[in-house]
Amino acid sequence: MNPYDKLFPPKRITLSNGKTVEEKRSRTPLVLLILLIASIVSVRITGFNFSTIINRGNQFFVIFRKMAPPDTSYLPKIWQPLFDTIKMSLLGSFIGSLLAIPFAVIASSNIVRNRFVIAVVRLFLSIVRTLPTLVTALIATYIFGLGTLAGTTAITVFTFSYVGKILYEEIETADMGPYEAMEAMGFGKVNAFRYAVAPQILPSYLSNCLFCFEGNVRYAAILGYVGAGGLGLILNEKIGWREYDKVGMILIMLFFTVLIIESLSHYLRSKLT
Amino acid sequence: MIVFDHVSKVYQNGCKGLDDVSLSIEQGEFVGIIGLSGAGKSTLIRSINRMHEITAGELTVDGIDVHSLKGKALRQFRRRIGMIFQSFNLVTRTTVIKNVLTSFVPDLPFWRMLFGIFPKEAKITALEALEKVGILDKAYTRVDQLSGGQQQRVALARTLAQNPSIILADEPVAALDPVTAKQVMDDFKKINEDMNITVLINIHHVELALQYASRIIGIKAGRIMFDGPVEAVTDSVLDEIYGGKLQEEEA
Ligand SMILES: Nc1ncnc2c1ncn2[C@@H]1O[C@H](COP(=O)(O)OP(=O)(O)OP(=O)(O)O)[C@@H](O)[C@H]1O
Ligand SMILES: [Mg+2]
Repeated sequence: MNPYDKLFPPKRITLSNGKTVEEKRSRTPLVLLILLIASIVSVRITGFNFSTIINRGNQFFVIFRKMAPPDTSYLPKIWQPLFDTIKMSLLGSFIGSLLAIPFAVIASSNIVRNRFVIAVVRLFLSIVRTLPTLVTALIATYIFGLGTLAGTTAITVFTFSYVGKILYEEIETADMGPYEAMEAMGFGKVNAFRYAVAPQILPSYLSNCLFCFEGNVRYAAILGYVGAGGLGLILNEKIGWREYDKVGMILIMLFFTVLIIESLSHYLRSKLT
Repeated sequence: MIVFDHVSKVYQNGCKGLDDVSLSIEQGEFVGIIGLSGAGKSTLIRSINRMHEITAGELTVDGIDVHSLKGKALRQFRRRIGMIFQSFNLVTRTTVIKNVLTSFVPDLPFWRMLFGIFPKEAKITALEALEKVGILDKAYTRVDQLSGGQQQRVALARTLAQNPSIILADEPVAALDPVTAKQVMDDFKKINEDMNITVLINIHHVELALQYASRIIGIKAGRIMFDGPVEAVTDSVLDEIYGGKLQEEEA
């Protein structure tokens, strides 16, 4: 018997005909207790302090106020980095999503029968997924030098691991009936996949790629901090110079860009399902 | 002609699917295969197009040793054999015509295969196949909007478009109501008679089997218990195929 049930014996309910049913005690109090302990421990470890937030928190509003009015004359200098940011996320999302397909296929247990191959590919995808995008971008700047190529690479790597995982899970839930029928018709495995499985997963695949792209625009905006090009570059610079009115202008542009891209992607995704 | 010569099949877990099966089926026969669940009906039918591997004996189709086929030769061999499933196995998210057209895919040149662009003759053949099973008017409907009976007809049309000489059907009407089941069986009968296609059907409904097939094969525990014309099927034969299950389990 479960130790929890021993500690808190189940409630007995007796029916009118004398039969008894045991109802186990809820686990919710235990879960809440664990959460509370975990929160206290993490506050201790991280040195999180409410008084700091209250004392220094107004500093946030000071900076915020300095951003207004934003410096509109700075706008012409923003277009290029903004364009770079979008370019990095678009290209990175595109390449990453395409790269994810072959890997996702060989990570799917209903397509590939070899357990070892599946385990290796999944492990690879997991490892890649744990790499923070900022770190990937930093590494990429060492390889490709400063600039958008490094940023694009970082976005590609992230998209690859994210879309790859979701895609193989999607493939595994596909109905394999048509695949079987096509194998019986004389299809090879690749064609059977293309004609039986692909139509089932295509809408959700595209939807996931778009969703990932949405997030990537925001990621791409901070990659400039490590020299990987885009808005982050000038954002970092202007914060450093304490030119908060220019920072305000950059943030406004970023805000509208993200807003437009998200609503566009949202619309497209609603069309897909 | 399909010839089983002392064919056995033992699954990897040691389960006997087929046990020393010998039989031969002429071109154009309509064969109903009956037997209890787990008797080996599916195993029998699926070893013919090598969806299942046999583990002993020899199985030939028109003189071709099925077990020796590999890669492209196997795929080419399968082109001549149609297969129908209980669950239809169509791509439900697309249209009827696209499902039927898939039967041409293996014969397309690479670039057409990649993009799924079909020549006009293929479309005409596909539409004619739909006409044969009486659902031409549904050609551009999405499959998930069709009833079970209509879906099984689409599957039949897909198989016909393949121009097979043999059709293997694994419980094709098990998911259909009695009336629809009869209609689909009529389609099989028509195809069998008009086009001289050999039809092998696994079927749970004995009455349907007796009504449509001209030859009955009864299996029990992987062994052929009965093989003969439908007229020779008596109650004692059915008893032998379906009955005596208890003694079997005790043994
Ligand atoms: N993949 C498999 N691995 C192991 N044993 C299997 C496998 N497929 C079938 N069997 C076994 O082989 C025997 C024959 O199975 P088969 O599917 O041919 O029966 P069937 O007559 O088609 O039954 P049903 O009417 O339920 O479809 C059964 O005992 C079954 O448990
Ligand atoms: Mg079966």
